[in-house]
Amino acid sequence: MAVTTATRAVVAGPRGRRRRSPATAYSWSSLLYVAPALLFFGVFVIYPICISVQTSFYAYDGLTVATPVGAANYVAVFTDPSLREALLHSLVLLVFYAALPVAIGLVLAGALSRIRIYGLTFFRAALFIPQVLSSVVVAVAWRGLLATDGPVNDALRAVGLGSIATSWLGNFDTALPAVGAIGTWVQYGLCMVLFLGGIVGIDRSLYEAARLDGAGAVREFRAITLPALRPQISIALILCITFALRNFDIIWNTTRGGPGTSTAVPSVYIYQDAFQNRALGQASALAVVLTLLILVIVGLVQLALRERSDVGARSRRHSGGAR
Amino acid sequence: MTPFSRTSPSRRLLLGGLVGLSAVTLVGCAAPGSGSGSAAVEQDEITSTVTAEQIADLGDVTLTLWADQAEEPLMGLLVPAYEEAYPNVTVDVTYKSFDDLIATVVNAANSADAPDLFQGNIGYAVDGALVKAGLVRPLDDVASVYGWEDGTGASTLAPSRWTEDGSTFGDGTLYGMSPISEVQGIYYNEAKLAELGLEAPESIEDLEAALPVAAEAGETPIMLGNSDQYAATHIFSDIAATTQDPEDIRAWIGGDPDETFATDGNIEAAETMAEWASNGYFGEGYDGLGNQDAIARFAEGDGVFFVGGSWNGAYLDADDFGFGALASGGVGATASPWHISSSSDEAIASIAFLDMLHSPETAQWILDEGRLPVVTDGVTASGDLQQQTLDALTATIEAGTQVGYYDWTTTDMLSVMGGGLQEVMAGRTSAEEFVDAVQTAWSKEHGAS
Repeated sequence: MAVTTATRAVVAGPRGRRRRSPATAYSWSSLLYVAPALLFFGVFVIYPICISVQTSFYAYDGLTVATPVGAANYVAVFTDPSLREALLHSLVLLVFYAALPVAIGLVLAGALSRIRIYGLTFFRAALFIPQVLSSVVVAVAWRGLLATDGPVNDALRAVGLGSIATSWLGNFDTALPAVGAIGTWVQYGLCMVLFLGGIVGIDRSLYEAARLDGAGAVREFRAITLPALRPQISIALILCITFALRNFDIIWNTTRGGPGTSTAVPSVYIYQDAFQNRALGQASALAVVLTLLILVIVGLVQLALRERSDVGARSRRHSGGAR
Repeated sequence: MTPFSRTSPSRRLLLGGLVGLSAVTLVGCAAPGSGSGSAAVEQDEITSTVTAEQIADLGDVTLTLWADQAEEPLMGLLVPAYEEAYPNVTVDVTYKSFDDLIATVVNAANSADAPDLFQGNIGYAVDGALVKAGLVRPLDDVASVYGWEDGTGASTLAPSRWTEDGSTFGDGTLYGMSPISEVQGIYYNEAKLAELGLEAPESIEDLEAALPVAAEAGETPIMLGNSDQYAATHIFSDIAATTQDPEDIRAWIGGDPDETFATDGNIEAAETMAEWASNGYFGEGYDGLGNQDAIARFAEGDGVFFVGGSWNGAYLDADDFGFGALASGGVGATASPWHISSSSDEAIASIAFLDMLHSPETAQWILDEGRLPVVTDGVTASGDLQQQTLDALTATIEAGTQVGYYDWTTTDMLSVMGGGLQEVMAGRTSAEEFVDAVQTAWSKEHGAS
């Protein structure tokens, strides 16, 4: 333990100094380099966000002059039972869209990095394909796969599980998990590729050392691979959670939030309010709340996964003080 | 090492400050919707038909149109005919898919270079918004000069009539005209009917008697694809039009605050839907099947009946399928109406175009394209299926039972009623709860109990 702390301190030393230097050499001329990107970002990201925030305090149909309504739109967001239900659905989808893909990605990355497989590049590319496909294509394909007489049910019947065969997307009880499963399929490839990239960067000698100490595959994975992949896991979770909470196209193109409201999520209501009901103020308020929710959850995940490096930083300061 | 930790606290503060500052500046600005947009120009009423000389006096002008993609074959015939009649006018048509059109046409009509002539959609979401914002020219003068109010198509104008404030429709000032009509009813697979020893159903009772026979023979009685949530509402409306006066349904859809959805007739219709669903008359997994997939399966011989509208006929082989109306006269509606922009300088050229759209020649073209015209006098159908559909339409228009579609009545009715009906059919809510929920959503817009 003491050795590792010392190593960290040595590594952290120069890095810490390097990090500080641009701040001291900060000059306005450097802004020129980022100005084009900043302008683009401002016009297409910051400005629309500000307009959304402004609109959320009005009743606005997109045509006639808007009337200010104070926080009424926000009150509606927090009191509407159907929106509460939609948020609950989002939380369930977090499991399918974030937790499962990361878990599957870890297992696959661990396996692919350990076993020498012929045509590894091919498998890596094939497993990444769901991420490349347009989500409408994905949704239409899965609608066919999950249909009453689709391949999924055919497979179930073939192995004698015909009794659980159902219209997965059309059944009130299975629609949400079914939509979730599609998300898992879309996201796991991204996680896997991220983790594979991270594994390449792990010093092979660590594995050799572990093997000499008699560690098995599982132990090796838990003691070396998993901790080393912390930054990749953090990024994968951020991407997946954002995808889960703002997910719209997969749900809209498979179930439209149905049957009933069993797969309705906030973004379905945002779309309906903005483009069908012409209630732009209400839609904006919901969008702002959803954005803040995503920021908070992503922030919490970051905080949770940064804990270890904070401990490192503390001991770094500690050892620095002792020196 | 997360990417965010690279920003120093002071810089983060600066960035945050900038964002906050710009937000505050913006919020301090004028309310959304003030300024910009199209400016209505003075529109002269016409007192006699527009003459070719009047249009020639306009000089070289371009008439810009926004149309539904589905109109492209019709426009392909109509536009050359128009340009030949009025050589100084160039017609420039922009086609949009239906979903795209209804999502963007209101904003386009509100823009500085609004199209002269465009299609809207009946109901509050599109036409209501257009009327409320004063973006479309009233057409009462055109209707009376060109005689639209006489003849078979007259009653089809009703859904384009609005009160001045855009709060109710069905009566009032005319703002649009559609040359195309639709009729709802039932398609049947003729070979299967013969096999089962059944006659073509002419009423809901006939159908109700036929359904168990089909089910016992191992067929899917009614092919239904309801994942888009609207297909079942069409079946519901066919039943509901027989359990109450269609006039009341039309008034409710039009937003008449004295009407209610919580009627015995609607409860009965919803109960029938639930009963048919639990008896398996819609087959398995209809909520997981899209409407388009369902019609494709039906065309391939899966299912005995398909309850839908004349717009589905194009997918079916006329030799193998028949069509009949279920309600007395059948339920139907008018397709997306055409509107003249209130900011158009070439209104008389647009009026001449609408006149051509409403002519018997165009009506025959419409029928030849496999759709139904509102002008049915003197058109001839080709084939049995088309004749049956046309008969159902004529009967509907004459009986005045073109009640329209439920989703016209409020902007969110499609999802409220579509989702609610899914719950009723799955046995998760009662018919009473369903009609109450629909009425509650409707009252938010139309202010009744």
